[in-house]
Amino acid sequence: MPNKPIRLTQTVKGSGCAAKLAAGDLARALCGLDLPVDPDLIVGIDKADDAGVYRISDDLALVQTIDFFPPMVDDPYCFGQIAAANALSDIYAMGGIPKTAMNVVAFPAKTLDMSILRTIIEGGLSKMREAGVVLVGGHTVEDSELKYGLSVTGFIHPGRILTKRNLQTGDRLILTKPIGTGIVSTAIKAGLADQSLTDRVTQAMATLNRNAALTMEDFPVHACTDITGFGFLGHLAEMVVDSGHGVRITAAHVPMYPEALEWAAMGLIPTGAYNNRNFRGSFVDFGTNVSQRVQDVLFDPQTSGGLLIAVAATEAERLVHALHATGIESAAIVGEVIAEPIDRIIVD
Amino acid sequence: MTNELDCRGLGCPAPVLKIRETLEKEAPAAITVLIDNEAAWQNVCRFLEHQKYTINTEKQGPVFRVVGTRAEGTAAPAKAPSAPTVTERKAGKKIMVMVTSDHMGHGDDGLGDMLMFNFLKTLKEMGPDLWRLVFVNNGVTFTAEGSEAVPILQELAGEGVEILACGACLAYLHLLDKIQIGEVSNMLDIVTGMQLADSVVTI
Repeated sequence: MPNKPIRLTQTVKGSGCAAKLAAGDLARALCGLDLPVDPDLIVGIDKADDAGVYRISDDLALVQTIDFFPPMVDDPYCFGQIAAANALSDIYAMGGIPKTAMNVVAFPAKTLDMSILRTIIEGGLSKMREAGVVLVGGHTVEDSELKYGLSVTGFIHPGRILTKRNLQTGDRLILTKPIGTGIVSTAIKAGLADQSLTDRVTQAMATLNRNAALTMEDFPVHACTDITGFGFLGHLAEMVVDSGHGVRITAAHVPMYPEALEWAAMGLIPTGAYNNRNFRGSFVDFGTNVSQRVQDVLFDPQTSGGLLIAVAATEAERLVHALHATGIESAAIVGEVIAEPIDRIIVD
Repeated sequence: MTNELDCRGLGCPAPVLKIRETLEKEAPAAITVLIDNEAAWQNVCRFLEHQKYTINTEKQGPVFRVVGTRAEGTAAPAKAPSAPTVTERKAGKKIMVMVTSDHMGHGDDGLGDMLMFNFLKTLKEMGPDLWRLVFVNNGVTFTAEGSEAVPILQELAGEGVEILACGACLAYLHLLDKIQIGEVSNMLDIVTGMQLADSVVTI
């Protein structure tokens, strides 16, 4: 079959839009489950961290994660790349090294040509190769809507796990990629985004967090997470709530796609952004100077977003320079950890 | 005339796009939209407010019934492509001035700065014909903290001149939180303004 242009985003209901189950719903579903106990399970489901960690020996632990979703871009190869980069990101956010991966596929074989599936997986493989990961298998089901992602396993030293917890007063917070990809994806689906922006955002989403992770290894990093479906403030809230610390974010320093701000004002905001605000909005105090559109982008669900790194204040500038030097040009200090008010996010 | 759009069953961004299409075609004085999910409702509210409609929502069971009316609802332009409200002024014609730089013309920048400042100061001589003043690219610096032009622009705004600053430009120059005068705007507003204006002057 000749390569007929197919717009993958038109084949699914939710792209950036409604893909992830609302965090509040998920919390209710998982609340009070009777979970098996194992002393070697260092980071489990109860910690709601980026990935689970299981100790094998004193100097080796497995770090495991899974992520998959419907397409947020039209090009199958790019979709494969983004889905893979997104899944691998959770391992990097824990400070681990990804080693093996398995494809997770839901494919509408009745409506889409099988060559599209092949192209998606080729895109995924290109990112696995870049990450030094081997594909060991996978699982494919027929479904009415396309979904793709990876289950990834990596190695990590049990003493060097970077969780979301462990913020320390004075730490600076560094974000490594611009936010607003959920809103931009909505605009792509609506046919409003031009090719140059689509290319720019696609490239950013397909970029592995590998260089960022390797760079931060040499710095006194206290906590780390990656920014995905719960949005910048949703993931930040996971770091802050019950941490005994607060954070102060300077909205003007948070890297954002300017176009996302415009589309936010027009109401092209994915459902997930509202879910994120409903779930975590009560922990956030916005200054009067923070406009509605900026608030919306701060809650916008991200696909394959950047790392959010808490690093000792004295080394923060140096880490930003080191990130810039490896080509992570958007990296910026966006805020700091404060002693109080505890468990609050202040945005001004 | 009231337009009614049934957007039940539609997820984001479909309702916003549907309304946008209607506004571009008809620019109705009032529009009623039916929506059945909260996110789409919030998006529709943002969009209509952005298009200068006053909105009122009634919740009937799972359905949001949003009624949007234009601020000066009586005389909607018959065939306006979009719906930014036109300030009612006794103007002979509507002139839109685009300021695309922080200085005027090419050559010595010191001279260019002085000329531009003088230009902004003299703009009021256009009287009520000056309808809208749009700042893009480096021009947005005039609307931000630290600009000596702010009081001049405030005076113009007091006379009813609409002052718009390009949001993407402000963001690019890290000035979004420093804007002192004017409304943060976007390319759709700017392009729509070009169509509505009798003449567009670009500096």
